[in-house]
Amino acid sequence: MRKNVTAIALPLAFALSAPAAAAETLKIGAIATLSGAGTAWGMSIQGAAELAAEDVNSKGGLEVAGKKYTVEIVAYDDKYKAADALTAINRLIFDDRIKFVAGTVGSAPILAILPISTENRVITMTMGFTPKALSAEYKYSFRPVLPSDVFSDPQIKWVVDKLGGKRVGGLFPNDESGQQVGAANEKAYEAVGAKFVAKEFFERERVDFVPLLTRVLAQNIDIFELNGNAPQTAGLLVKQLRELGFKGPIIRTGGDATADIVKVAGKAATENVYVHQPIDLASPAIQQYQKRFEDKYKIPLNAFSPFFHANMHMLFEAMRKSGTVTDTDKVREAMLSLKDFDTVLGKVSWTGQEQWKSNQQLDAPFYVAVIKDGQPVVVAKCTPAKCQ
Amino acid sequence: MDYPTLLVQAAVNGLVIGTMYMMMAVGFTLVFGIMRVVNFAHGEFYMLGAFAAFFTYAQWELPFVVCLLIAAVTIGVLGALLERAIIQPFRSDELSGMIATLGLSVIIQNAAIVMWGPTPRSMPNVIDGVLTIGPFTFPLSRLLVIVAAALIFAAFWVFMQRTRTGRAMRAVAQDAETALIQGIRVNTIYPIAFGISVALAALAGVLMAPIFSVSPFVGLTPMLKAFVVVILGGLGSVPGAVVGGLLLGLIESFTATALGSLVADILQLLLVILILLVRPWGLLGQKEA
Repeated sequence: MRKNVTAIALPLAFALSAPAAAAETLKIGAIATLSGAGTAWGMSIQGAAELAAEDVNSKGGLEVAGKKYTVEIVAYDDKYKAADALTAINRLIFDDRIKFVAGTVGSAPILAILPISTENRVITMTMGFTPKALSAEYKYSFRPVLPSDVFSDPQIKWVVDKLGGKRVGGLFPNDESGQQVGAANEKAYEAVGAKFVAKEFFERERVDFVPLLTRVLAQNIDIFELNGNAPQTAGLLVKQLRELGFKGPIIRTGGDATADIVKVAGKAATENVYVHQPIDLASPAIQQYQKRFEDKYKIPLNAFSPFFHANMHMLFEAMRKSGTVTDTDKVREAMLSLKDFDTVLGKVSWTGQEQWKSNQQLDAPFYVAVIKDGQPVVVAKCTPAKCQ
Repeated sequence: MDYPTLLVQAAVNGLVIGTMYMMMAVGFTLVFGIMRVVNFAHGEFYMLGAFAAFFTYAQWELPFVVCLLIAAVTIGVLGALLERAIIQPFRSDELSGMIATLGLSVIIQNAAIVMWGPTPRSMPNVIDGVLTIGPFTFPLSRLLVIVAAALIFAAFWVFMQRTRTGRAMRAVAQDAETALIQGIRVNTIYPIAFGISVALAALAGVLMAPIFSVSPFVGLTPMLKAFVVVILGGLGSVPGAVVGGLLLGLIESFTATALGSLVADILQLLLVILILLVRPWGLLGQKEA
């Protein structure tokens, strides 16, 4: 009986999908984390792709070589896992016949899918911070977001120059990522003439940092660095530091955690806290994008989303310029030729040749903000070369 | 900071954490002493206490004393009901009882995630400001914990020593059958003891919530420490839990301040192993015949 149903349903499904193809639909894939702890990031990718599709569809579609295409986003959940990302990319390439994919969120997932996407000449746009996501070998791999090894050096230099601190202290989680971040931070601070005088590691389940902070403060530090700590831990550290009477600047070099830090530590404790800020929330274009995103998805905008929105529009422009929606080599070249392209982030270009032997890293400005009354206020605008 | 300042600072930090450990461990050991139940869900009642503090103090802005009362009564009653429904059927079966409490802890924690979400919430301090005596600075919010915990424990002690119910609880702890023969209603004592035990955990949660933060995961660390404390002090011994709790807090604070957190954690667990080897019944526990 079941067989009979399939026998009828299959041709029916084909029959139904056929008219859609006739209306020239351009499908673009999204591999995003849509469940679990990384959902906010996954939604920021899917939302960016859908909003960019809305932009062109509302103008009657994307016009490439005289034909109009309605852009449709096909999104799959990778649960932040390499295995699920692999399943998703296989479905996108072989079932949906898709050539352009926004995602993945994580580093392990992008590394898992790159061999397949490269072999099938599929353009991907990842959020993964791993340096291995970009290389000469992975010709079709792009990254719209700035990873920490791009923004931390100029930001640390600015902070040390501006605040004049010479003695730095920090607490890091005692695992591989914490140890790595600790070592990288120490190097970055020492490169600009400051000294890491107190560096402590702790087990992740610890919530009382007072003994460790007492130990760090005994070294008479000028600056405290919060990098490498989960958002909640960062908030507790700020709260307990202030309770112990530390009034100096606290620096968050690293991913956006401002909202959680303020939530846990409270407004009074977060004065004089400097944070990395990927976007300028005061810019009208970002504010407009934020409103659109939040109205549609009913979740707060994650700062990564505008980067994907920008990359999607660069992709559309590259298709228009190259006159194809199937030849990814031509689209790739056209996309790389875009310079000072106007996006929601401002003018953006490509960079990365020197660092990764691949010029497929989006080059966008980023910001250092100081928290005032619970809100980040931009105090410096940066490029990968320097902040001012 | 000079040496004496560091020492005093570390001592006060140690007392704050120690009183929290003490309140957790006293309830934990009480239930074991009376009912022979190892309550793995003990930490979740701490978490419920922390949430009770968040809602009553941070959101409804009730006076802090009232918040303590509300948390103790509601969570105590909840504990008593849970004892009746879930733990009593396993009375003669320690292992199944243990697994039941383990299940209970998973249920309570996940229910909290479903109801209140996983993101941490912060709440304002009960008193702001610091107390400065000479070169020493103490946050008042932490001193409050020490004072409040001492008062709560004193009330608990008077209850156990002076009231009929308290005496009955001690009698049941010594020998349930003999207590039954004396006319003590053991079946009423069990839920009361369990309720008081988890109410103490909830009170610890209320006191610590403004200092740390509130999330469905905050119960884990206090639970683990309660285990360490009762091994240190002796399983089933209330004075042992008091001494063990304060001692563990002080050891943790001094070693972490002097040697860093990793060494502190190593030393703590070394101490536990040492006590298990040399004096398995704990500092003040009773050697089982």
